[in-house]
Amino acid sequence: MRNYIKQWFARRFDLEGMNKPLQKQLHKPLPKHINWFHTLGSMSLFLFISQVLTGILLLVYYRPTVGEAFESVKFIMTTAHAGWLYRQIHAWGANLMILVVFLHMLRTFLTGSFKRPRELTWVVGVVIFILTLVFGFTGYLLPWNQLAYWATTVGTEIAGAVPWIGEFTKTLLRGGSGVGGETLSRFFVIHVIVLPWLLFFIVAIHLFLVRYQGIATMDPVGEEKQPKEGEGIPFFPHHVLKEGIVFFILLGILITLSVVAPFELGEKADPLTTPYAIKPEWYFLPMYQVIKYFPKLIGIFVTGLAPLLLLIWPFLDKSREKRLLRRPISMTIGILTIFSLLFFGMLGHLSETKTKFFGKTYEFDIYGRPHAVAAEVPARSP
Amino acid sequence: MYKAKLFFWLFLGVGLAVPAFARDIKNNNCIVCHADQWEQMKESIHARHQITCDRCHGGDPAQEDMEAAKAPGTDFVAVPDKKQTAERCGQCHADVEAMNFYGLPTDQLARYKTSAHGKLLFDHGDEHGAVCTDCHGYHDVVAVMDPQSPVYPLNLPATCNRCHGDKAVMAPYKHPTDIFEKYKKSVHGVALFEKGDLSVANCVKCHGSHGAMPPGVKEIGATCGKCHINEKRYFLEGPHAQASQDGYFSECASCHDYHDIQRPDTNLYNTACLNCHSEGDEAFKRGQKIKEMIDSSSRALSDAGELVKQAAMEGIFVDEETAALEEARTNVLEMAPRQHSLSVENIGELYGKATALTQEIQNGVRTKRQSLRWRKIALVPLWIFIFLMVVVLRKKYDQLKGKEHE
Repeated sequence: MRNYIKQWFARRFDLEGMNKPLQKQLHKPLPKHINWFHTLGSMSLFLFISQVLTGILLLVYYRPTVGEAFESVKFIMTTAHAGWLYRQIHAWGANLMILVVFLHMLRTFLTGSFKRPRELTWVVGVVIFILTLVFGFTGYLLPWNQLAYWATTVGTEIAGAVPWIGEFTKTLLRGGSGVGGETLSRFFVIHVIVLPWLLFFIVAIHLFLVRYQGIATMDPVGEEKQPKEGEGIPFFPHHVLKEGIVFFILLGILITLSVVAPFELGEKADPLTTPYAIKPEWYFLPMYQVIKYFPKLIGIFVTGLAPLLLLIWPFLDKSREKRLLRRPISMTIGILTIFSLLFFGMLGHLSETKTKFFGKTYEFDIYGRPHAVAAEVPARSP
Repeated sequence: MYKAKLFFWLFLGVGLAVPAFARDIKNNNCIVCHADQWEQMKESIHARHQITCDRCHGGDPAQEDMEAAKAPGTDFVAVPDKKQTAERCGQCHADVEAMNFYGLPTDQLARYKTSAHGKLLFDHGDEHGAVCTDCHGYHDVVAVMDPQSPVYPLNLPATCNRCHGDKAVMAPYKHPTDIFEKYKKSVHGVALFEKGDLSVANCVKCHGSHGAMPPGVKEIGATCGKCHINEKRYFLEGPHAQASQDGYFSECASCHDYHDIQRPDTNLYNTACLNCHSEGDEAFKRGQKIKEMIDSSSRALSDAGELVKQAAMEGIFVDEETAALEEARTNVLEMAPRQHSLSVENIGELYGKATALTQEIQNGVRTKRQSLRWRKIALVPLWIFIFLMVVVLRKKYDQLKGKEHE
């Protein structure tokens, strides 16, 4: 049977000719220094595929209208067969995807893989990262709950503060003056039609560039020697086996998080009730916190610099060296960036909360500054 | 534009119109000498409607000369006695034509004359009988619903208590003087004074105001039934209705008492029933059965409420359970008025529904919790599978690396 099918195709297509480049790509040797961190790119792709599949399942029941969105998500979580599982995998998958894409970028930065001749691969990668964040932003509104509604209101308001094009962008995103049914429709279309296809093609370009130019070695720029046949580590089966191991662990983590720490749906969006301390998701927290310290326009300019710097980084850092310890300035900038992301993220998380540290209660203001709160005196019983 | 102006002046004219008996305050010469009284009166409802001194005291306020103002023939009375007070207030307040303008009733004087207070004054000439000014005040009289009014619901019990709490005044009539103290501690008093519920029963809601009379043994049920409609309805279906008709039983007061009515609970079945029944008799047992059903449903409802709250905090969707809880609560609340029928079958029907609903809530939450538990248990085989896959893939990888070294 197998032979029959093979022959059927062979009579119609040049299978030999087609198989050759495929085998070449499959067994293409990878540089010797390839390690476990080099699986992060494939894991990003796996998470993207997982998001597409669970997204399709969600679309079976999801209704993108103000009257039905919240109820349909509730239906998925309570009544639809295994709905709770694919909704949670989708929600956790979104968060993990952002994290994994970021870690993949970090690995590329630390190993200097973005340097000539792979500048374009990096730029496309940064676009993928930005699109992943936009995926997160648009998808966050779709359950139409209080947190989503108000986070979107604040998010689009920030977009509206951009000089010249702000007001237009805000109205374009919202489909009106406020967040409402039109916004939901727009975010839905962007989230399920525009972004998936856009990302699909951009990921295809990214993968093509990676395969075409090969994985970067640790040799200095201009002296790079790609491993020849029989040298290095074969992509298949060696590296694929490694990816398989990480894939299974990631799958386990994804399902475990979905079961152990499920995302709550919360309350339905209510435009008349503004909740206290509106905050975006963790991946926007550092930027959201930084904006608070500057006057409106300067804040937007400062936070807008971050993606711009990421995009043009390969054109700024032109040193030939790739080894991190021989790139002290890059290393310092990288470490400072990570620490500032963690620091401002933590401040953003703590701001407008009351937290206990070593038995003392502190109230954190919007800037994240702690203020000691006097111990509450229990009311005297009559 | 002309029409609009005409309409405006017409509207203003009607709005500012005062009835014929009202007099221009500027022509009221009484206040030249009686400035202190005017000081009390000027913010009163009468002054605001330009009702001047002569409407109650007679005289001619237009006269600038004091003697001429009080001259015989001007119907002048310096201080009207109580009978004169009632009659003089009645001159306007019993006049349909005069009161029509304000939309006020005009039967106060007629009712007053039928009241215990009115009879005391008019039939027995007893000046202790409260008259209009005793309750409403005189120069500074304000509208009943003005919070400053002594008859505003929040102030009314204290106003009645001025006489009814005075031992010396009440002694000849052998009236108790602790009614206000009892009322303050009662469920009605607490609702009025502590919760500010103006709709709650106060003195006049039960006794009437202008036609105030103590309700008799037979009437007390009708009085309470004005607010407690369902309790009254079910009571009439119960075995005590006939006893009440026959005068052996005071409809509500026999169990709940009157001025010091406390928030009732099912303990009344242990105490009030024993006023007439003995512990062993059938009626008492029936009461105990009803008590048991109400107590049991209330406990089950409270437990179910806690369970739903806890489940919601655990992140479980409890919409169906919340709806069932509301339905159960409705049934339990319905037991309160329906128990007055003293019918075991009647309460049993609600008890059955409430029990089934609370059971449904418990089963629902249990099933959902179990489902969550199973999800966590399912992680164990998942991780065993992942572990095996990782081991197999790793082994294969090591094998390949080993071969390369060979």
